[in-house]
Amino acid sequence: MKAQQLKIALRNCGVIDPENIQDYIAREGYLALGKCLAGGSREAVVETVKKSGLRGRGGGGFSTGMKWEFAAKPQSDRKFVVCNADEGDPGAFMDRAVLEGDPHSVLEAMAICGYAIGAEDGYIYIRAEYPLAIKRLKTAIAQAEEAGLLGSNIMNTGFNFKIYLKYGAGAFVCGEETALIKSMEGHRGEPVSKPPFPATKGYRGKPTNVNNVETFANVAAIINKGADWFASIGTEKSKGTKVFALAGKVKNVGLVEVPMGTTLRELIYDIGGGILDDKEFQAVQTGGPSGGCLTVKHLDTPIDYESLVASGSMMGSGGMIVMDEDDCMVAVAQFYLEFTVEESCGKCVPCREGNKALYNILHKITHGSGTMADIDRLKELSVVIKSTSLCGLGQTSPNPVLSTINNFYDDYVQHVVDKKCRAKRCRALLEYLVIEENCIGCGACKRACPADAILGEPKKKHFIDQEKCIKCGACYQKCKFNAIAID
Amino acid sequence: MEKVTNVEQLKALQSALSKEAEQAASKKVIIRIAMATCSIASGAKPVLDFFTEEMPRQPLEFIIKSTGCTGLCHSEPTVEVTLPGKAPVMFGKVDVKKANEIVNDYIKGGKQIEGILEVSRS
Amino acid sequence: MTCSINQQIIKEKIVEICSEFKNDPDDLIAILHKAQGHFGFLPSEVQQAVAEQLRIPVSKVFGVVTFYSYFTMEPKGKYPISICMGTACYVKGAEKVLGDFETKLKIKNGQTTPDGKFSLNTLRCIGACGLAPVVMIGEKVYGGVKPEDAGKIISEYKD
Repeated sequence: MKAQQLKIALRNCGVIDPENIQDYIAREGYLALGKCLAGGSREAVVETVKKSGLRGRGGGGFSTGMKWEFAAKPQSDRKFVVCNADEGDPGAFMDRAVLEGDPHSVLEAMAICGYAIGAEDGYIYIRAEYPLAIKRLKTAIAQAEEAGLLGSNIMNTGFNFKIYLKYGAGAFVCGEETALIKSMEGHRGEPVSKPPFPATKGYRGKPTNVNNVETFANVAAIINKGADWFASIGTEKSKGTKVFALAGKVKNVGLVEVPMGTTLRELIYDIGGGILDDKEFQAVQTGGPSGGCLTVKHLDTPIDYESLVASGSMMGSGGMIVMDEDDCMVAVAQFYLEFTVEESCGKCVPCREGNKALYNILHKITHGSGTMADIDRLKELSVVIKSTSLCGLGQTSPNPVLSTINNFYDDYVQHVVDKKCRAKRCRALLEYLVIEENCIGCGACKRACPADAILGEPKKKHFIDQEKCIKCGACYQKCKFNAIAID
Repeated sequence: MEKVTNVEQLKALQSALSKEAEQAASKKVIIRIAMATCSIASGAKPVLDFFTEEMPRQPLEFIIKSTGCTGLCHSEPTVEVTLPGKAPVMFGKVDVKKANEIVNDYIKGGKQIEGILEVSRS
Repeated sequence: MTCSINQQIIKEKIVEICSEFKNDPDDLIAILHKAQGHFGFLPSEVQQAVAEQLRIPVSKVFGVVTFYSYFTMEPKGKYPISICMGTACYVKGAEKVLGDFETKLKIKNGQTTPDGKFSLNTLRCIGACGLAPVVMIGEKVYGGVKPEDAGKIISEYKD
């Protein structure tokens, strides 16, 4: 039987009109909040979330219920609930879909969290690059306040909860909760060392609970249907479902939600429809710049927090990029490192300098001047960066390098020893050659060549001077007789 | 919307609204057009405009809803049509021409037409 | 002379924006968003005015402006072109698309054409991975862009 989707976080996406609160209420919206306010004690709410086994969907995978418990404990005049909607992973758009398609589910869960930990103010920290999500959130907040489901004295229970928006400004590191809080306070989004955890000292120095959008989107369903129901879905340690943004070289690019424990193969082939143009599967990247590239031998790995870490990647926020035979894994590692170098906040040395060094070595390798010692150096340096960086960004940034070395070692060796790129993605390692029997000497390639690297008389065989060739591919594109080969 | 002043009132409102939705589904054509960022980028707006202009000209009761992401990025813009008492049917890569076909052939004519996606709604 | 008039205009606008946020330095990022939305970019005069109004060091404002990629100190073109370099776009050939735009516009990534019409930059994932590779011009999103499309897309923006 083919694997099926199971929609909990996305239960209303694509079904309801996100700008109409009545649509949401018709599908049990705000009933969970009502249930908590009318009957459940604060402790009981925390207990339910804890018992459900819900874990942070932003990547870390920490128990949500325990996080709430930590924030509920301290006595304070003010506390805050923060929703992390700074979806910065390249290739991930789960949060955007939830906020655009079902904003009330996040608002309701934030209010439930506020009740559970004793907070009256909620903030959604959202990317400024998501104008539609921002617009729909604003509409939803206004509607909920008008209906008396947010604001002061909600449903005459004496509970007050208001929600505000804060805009991010494009910094990947702000997904880290301490950096996010710094950014909310108007500073550079640099992380600080923990402890103290935000649960004791967070936004404005007050106890703060930060959860990701998808985590919140599960909460109302858990309260309505019970912790046992949620805990019955998934695997032993990873409960419920996970939303993935399936993209790259897969037929059905899209947003999917599957029970934890579904295998990568089921996700890519049953739900994703297999590889685009029926090419050969090469790798799947999970966890974004903090994750790793998994290969054919991992296809039957069940998707849960522990299994993905054990195979050298991580759950991450849910980006899942499929790569085929035409992708060069060394270049992919370089791509992620380029991202990390740009996004490192620069506060701690291992991340700031170490990742730059990793990038330089990878650049050397993809440009044909790498050595075998460089591969060892990559590994050594990666271990140091992982163990000494200040925050999650640096502690995970070498994962794309380590996982590609582990799973695609031969590709590294080929780049270093043979100076070749199997996938033909690394331009500097390509060689353009004239296939003599096909060349009619028309001269089209010669005229197209910007480096004057093609020699030959009209109507005679041409040839390419490799010393001069800048590997731009212009000749290859111009030739109508299949007389240029790429090696 | 009227202010909800206690939890019981919310429960009553919920059951009234869900009953209303059920009744609507039994006699009205429900058209859901995905209007998320990627749907709009692939051309959902003219499709939505077409339905909102065209449907009132038909002798049918209908509801048009613009929704969020259906998760079917590969086939945006998507339109889901539920005929009274029938299971929802999802159309992919809908443009105005296709929308016209959906109205005339599928909704009015009751014919099976191309472009139906295999999806199940849990 | 024109310079001082400009500064007066900047000052007034910044006073207006800051007062919307009760001159609270906590809202520095929101204030800069508004200021950039109005002026198109954040030159040092704007940063100076914000710092004065919020009573914080201008170095702090500068630190924030340079930290976040959304803020820019350079004016953008009339039609800002952004090439998405998210992973999904990358594996589907965004680099070649960028290269073609660079060739057609005769500028490099991060630059603006001499006539101020187009500027070119890359961004990290707009979350429209289903349409990869993606190019944005202003608010308009182009999906499934092929390298040879650059000329055609640019020609849509005549004036």
